[in-house]
Parts: sequence; C-alpha cells; structure tokens
Amino acid sequence: MRERLSKLWRTLAWSWSPASERESSEAIVKNFWLHWFPVKVARASMDFNYSFWLGTASAALLAILTITGVMLMFFYVPSTERAYGSIKDLEYAVSFGRLLRNQHRWAAEGMVAVVFIHMARVFFTGAYRGPRAMNWLVGVALLFATLLLSFTGYLLPWDQLAYWAVTVGTGIARQAPIVGNTLALILLGGNQIGQQTLLRFYVMHVFFLPVFAWILFGYHMWRVRKDGGLAAIEPLRNARTSTPRETPAAKSYSLFGVTVGTSVAVRSSMQLEERDQVAASPNLIRRMMLVFLIVFNATLAAALLFNAPLEGPANPAVTPNPAKAPWYFVWLQELVASTTIHLGPYTVSGALLGGILVPGILLAILAAWPFLDQSPREAEGLWFARNRNRQNLVFAAITGAIIILIFVGVFLRGPYWRLYWPGMPRPAMPTLM
Amino acid sequence: MEQPLKPSPDSYEARDFGWLVAMSLLFFGLVAIGFWREYRTEWGPYQHEFPEILGHYGKGEEARKFIPGIKQIWIPQIAVTDRCITCHLGYDWSAILPPSLAQPLTPHPAGDLIAKHPFEKFGCTPCHGGQGWATTVNAAHIGGPGWIDPMLTPALAASQGLTMDQMMQMRCNFCHRHDEATPGMDVINRGKTLLRKRKCILCHSIEGRGGNTGPELTYEGDSNPELYDFSRVAGQKTFFNWNVQHLMHASRITPTTQMPDYNMPIDDARALTLLILSWRRQSFPPEYIPAPSEAAAAMQPTPATTPSANAPEHH
Repeated sequence: MRERLSKLWRTLAWSWSPASERESSEAIVKNFWLHWFPVKVARASMDFNYSFWLGTASAALLAILTITGVMLMFFYVPSTERAYGSIKDLEYAVSFGRLLRNQHRWAAEGMVAVVFIHMARVFFTGAYRGPRAMNWLVGVALLFATLLLSFTGYLLPWDQLAYWAVTVGTGIARQAPIVGNTLALILLGGNQIGQQTLLRFYVMHVFFLPVFAWILFGYHMWRVRKDGGLAAIEPLRNARTSTPRETPAAKSYSLFGVTVGTSVAVRSSMQLEERDQVAASPNLIRRMMLVFLIVFNATLAAALLFNAPLEGPANPAVTPNPAKAPWYFVWLQELVASTTIHLGPYTVSGALLGGILVPGILLAILAAWPFLDQSPREAEGLWFARNRNRQNLVFAAITGAIIILIFVGVFLRGPYWRLYWPGMPRPAMPTLM
Repeated sequence: MEQPLKPSPDSYEARDFGWLVAMSLLFFGLVAIGFWREYRTEWGPYQHEFPEILGHYGKGEEARKFIPGIKQIWIPQIAVTDRCITCHLGYDWSAILPPSLAQPLTPHPAGDLIAKHPFEKFGCTPCHGGQGWATTVNAAHIGGPGWIDPMLTPALAASQGLTMDQMMQMRCNFCHRHDEATPGMDVINRGKTLLRKRKCILCHSIEGRGGNTGPELTYEGDSNPELYDFSRVAGQKTFFNWNVQHLMHASRITPTTQMPDYNMPIDDARALTLLILSWRRQSFPPEYIPAPSEAAAAMQPTPATTPSANAPEHH
C-alpha cells in the first residue's frame, strides 16, 4: 500500500526521479538555478551547531524583503504629500497591506540583527583566514549595505519617527571632517530634509542598494564555494594533513599568488573522503528550504503579532522628545550624547568622536582584521578556539558594549535624553489640547 | 559505480523531514490566521446590519443595492480621506432614519449647518478631528501614537472646561478666520471681540499687522507645546491650559513677561485661547474660505420684509 502511494506520488509530482546519487548530482550541475550548489557537501558544513545557518537565514530575509518590497512599491508614493497617506492606506484599506508592511519591517530589522550575528559567528569560529579573508571583506560590505538599506527605508513612511531619526543620522554624518558637509549635502540633496531627500532615499532603497546587495550576495556565495566551503571542514582537513606539505618552490599553483601559504592540492576538497560528505541534492537543498521556511514563518508570525511603528505625519516644526535614531544606530547617538561636553557657555560636540571616529575606526579594524590576525591556522573552523581567546574576548567586549549602549538608548533614554530606570516615572510632555 | 538510493539511518532526510512537516503546518496555520484577521473586520457586522435597517424603514431598493466594503469620502483638494462612513453608514440618511438609532449607524443631524457644509465637500474630520484613514474604532477616534488631532468628544471638551460645541468652533475658524463674526460661532465671535477690545495687536503681530513687543501670533495654533514653560501652570499640561492661564495672569506663568495681567474671566480666556489655537497653517483652497461680507450680512438681524432678489423689476 505504502509503496503504491509512494509510486502514485512520484508519478504525480515528478516527471523524472533520480535512480542514483550520481544522477541526483547531475540534476544540480545541469540546472541553471541549482548550479551554484556543490555536488557534494561536507557533513561538518551541514551542522546546525556550527553555523546556525545564519548566512542562509540572511539570504532568506533578503529574498523576503525583495518580494515584499516590490509588492509595497505598487502602493507607496515617494512624495512628501502622499507618502504618509499611502502608508495609512496600506494599513487600513489595502488587502493584507498591513501584514505586508509589518513583514517587510520586521524582516528588515531582523536582517540587521542576523547579518551581524552571522558575522560574529564567522569571527568566533575564526573562519576568515587565508583565502576566506576576501569573503570576509565582502561580508563587511554586505553588513554596510544592510545598514544603509535599513536606514534609507526608515525615512520612507515620512512620519515623525522617520523624519527625526534621519535628521539625527544625517546630522552625525555632517560632523565628518572635511567631507562632512558635502556628505550631508549628497545624502539630503540639499541643506535640510525635504522632497529631494525622500526621492534620493527612495531610489537608493528600491534600486541601487538592493542591486548592490544582490550582486555582492551572489559573489559572497560563489566565493564560499571557491574557497572550499565552510571553514567547518578545516579541523578535519588539518587532522588529515598533520604535517603540511611544502609547496615545491619551482611550482606556482595560483596564477596571482592569491592562495597564500599552502598549495592548491592541500586546500582542495579532495582531502575529504566519501564518508565525510553527502550529496547536496537533496540534503543541502532540503535543509535550505527548511531554513527559508523557518525564517519566513518567523517574520510572518512577527508581522501578525506586532505592528510596524508609525507615528504622526512628519512635522519639521515639532521635534519629538527625545528624537532617537533607529535602534542599530542608537549606540552611535548614545556615544555622541555622552561624549558631548559642556564647558560653561561652550559645547564640544561629541559627533566627531562618537559619530565618526569610533564607528570609522571600528569598521576599519573589522575590515583589516583577517590580515592582522596572528592566531595559528589550527584554530580555523572551531568555536571559541583556545588560542584565539584574547581576540574573541575583545570582539565580545566591543559587541557587548554596543549592545549595552543600544539597550540604554532604546529603553532607558527619555525626554531631554535623560536616563530613566525601568519603572521610573517619565514626565508627561505637554500636548496641544 | 552507481550507488542505489536508500535512506540510511543517519541520513539528513530522517532528521529534517519532521521539521519540514512541522514548519509547513505552522506556515499554513499562520496564513490561515492572516486570512482570518483580514476578513474579521470591525466594520463587517455594521455593514451586515445596515441594509436590514434600511429595509425596515422602507428603503428595500437601496438596501438591495448596498455593496459591502470600505467606504470613503475622498476630497483631494483638502487632503481628506475619510473612511468614517465605513461604519457610520447612516450619516446622510437623516430623512429616513431616526436620530435615536444607535451609533455607529445614527444619521448626522441635518440642518442649516449641513446644508452649507455638504459631506461631499467637507468630509468628516475637518470638523470632528480624528483619523480619517483608519478603519478600526480605536485608531479612527483616538489616532495612533503622536496623533495630534484626536476626535472631538464631550469628554475631551469637558477636560478643558468646554462643551463639544465650543471646541468644534475652533475647527470652524480654520476657514472662518477672516469673518468678523460668524453665525453659530458664539465662543469664537466672543474671542474675536475680545481681540479687538483688548487691542492685542498693539504688541503682537498677526498676519503682518501689529507691534513687535510680543511674539508673532499668526500661526500660534501650530506651536510646539514643549517650547513653553509649564512649570507654573496649574492642572493639565496642555497648550490650551497654558494659554488660558497666561491670558488671565501672564506674570504668574512667565514672571519676566511684559504682558499685563488682564485678570479676565476664565470664559473670556478660554474663548480667546480657542481663537488663538485655531490659527494654523491650513490647506483649504480659496473656494473653501467664506467671503467676510457674507458672514457680516448673515450676522445682521433679519429685516421684517426681505426684498426678493429675483423679483421682477418695475419701471
């Protein structure tokens, strides 16, 4: 009976079914959409415990954002007069409009978080060494693109939250030395936020940044494969090649000397044996589908449970008190506020230190780290390897500090940017009537 | 050599299949909840009830023609999208439906006011406040976070020591600002009389006329309340309250002010405050602004015999 049902299902759902693993693998190579999967994938890379599949989750979020974003574009009008109303229409009159916007919003905020956690995972497993350093750089660029995408999207509803968050954000950019004013002028399309800013942010948000992110994402994926898959396989490989073979001096294995330190043979996936690997089709594809499904469900559940914030229409005359940057930038605002010093009648703005220098230096160190890291290669692909303790601790400390600053900025800052502990009454701000 | 496909005990199929099924079921569940939320509207029951009521009052033909769905009065000239009538379906049926009909189906009281301010030209929110876009009770009446124009209610008016009628007159004055006096706007009229009597423009400049001793007041209704000092204001911290107390005893609210203490009765202070708060930047096009002469004529006592405008002329 069961076999009959199984056969019926195959006749209904498949025009062809693989008779062997080899046929199954060929299905990947011959398929345009699947060809950037490997034919075989290491069991170590399949583990949830190693990568938590955070990169796939980021890709799923990017896909969800692209699809919901294109749908939102059918309703959104990027004009200062119509933008806010078109969001209200989505919330109250468009079928599933509120759900669509909610899912887009929570997927966007989720992507900032997941992309960052993905980067933290790569750091803590030391997975950016050797040829993978290039992909780490691509990843840093993708993190930057994600932040810019989120920030440009923040302005589009044209409500008080959006207007003043972007006022704060571009105000910080203005403090950059030499290029500050030009940078603000380019961002705003003028001297203050207006129609020209909205249009600029819109074009960046719906075209240039997504295209940039997708191209970079494609390269990121291709690079993962060309660098030999996840670094999870490196411990195994290191175990198999306990005494690294010297590359013959006369023979150059890489055209431009990109593969540093070892020969191509040592790094190729031929080191893995049959029992270390499984066919990518269907194992990798099935698990990817599962991750996509989990991420989609998570964003859909969030969209059903929580409404995306929307305040009153943007009003340049009335500043909300306090005006806060989006949460992923609020740690910078917190730094700016706490490094601003008042000396009698003079105020030394902290915008340069807190808004430009600190994040600039952090970003520079982040990008350069694979080339500065001196830890032994044996630590590659292992969570919290003992001989990486010091740098892992520094990374965790900086991340922890950022999280604390975000927490303080989001939850503890009240009117006039004063600190209010949980449960402390906040002064009621005067209203019109 | 080709290996036959057979699921091994440690295969990923065995590990992932259960999860896939669970997540798929969760997905269908979430989609079902999404559909349920989309179609379980707050206005649905009222739209179900309304045709029955129309039929009950002898309008069977109209009841049959009734198409359920979101209804709106859309007036792009004044940026009005009022979906209030999605629930308040009886609004223009005052000729048929009794005023005793329970809300939200109660018809809007008819009369001279509505004859001069037809729904299709003015919508709902320009007079009543509230959030016209919204199709849920809470959002429509109260607005969301940061919504500055909640719907006017007797309770809201009472919290400021006003009646709802008085509070609404502030909104009438958005268009009637340049009337010397307007029929039916007694509180605002009183404010305008006080404005002249107290000679406010000796110190304050309003629409380009007046002195420079005090602040300019042309768009005072758009002020940011946070920029005012509320530390000496008794009672509610509202801009309305600040103005009322400042008009009565300016030196108590702002000790450094040059404005004299007028010691005026609180009703006078409230009338003036309503007038001042009505001075906002408005998006009403010229055809919405009444000619001042019209209002002046309307305020004249009606003569015993009115010569008919289209009476035949005799030579």
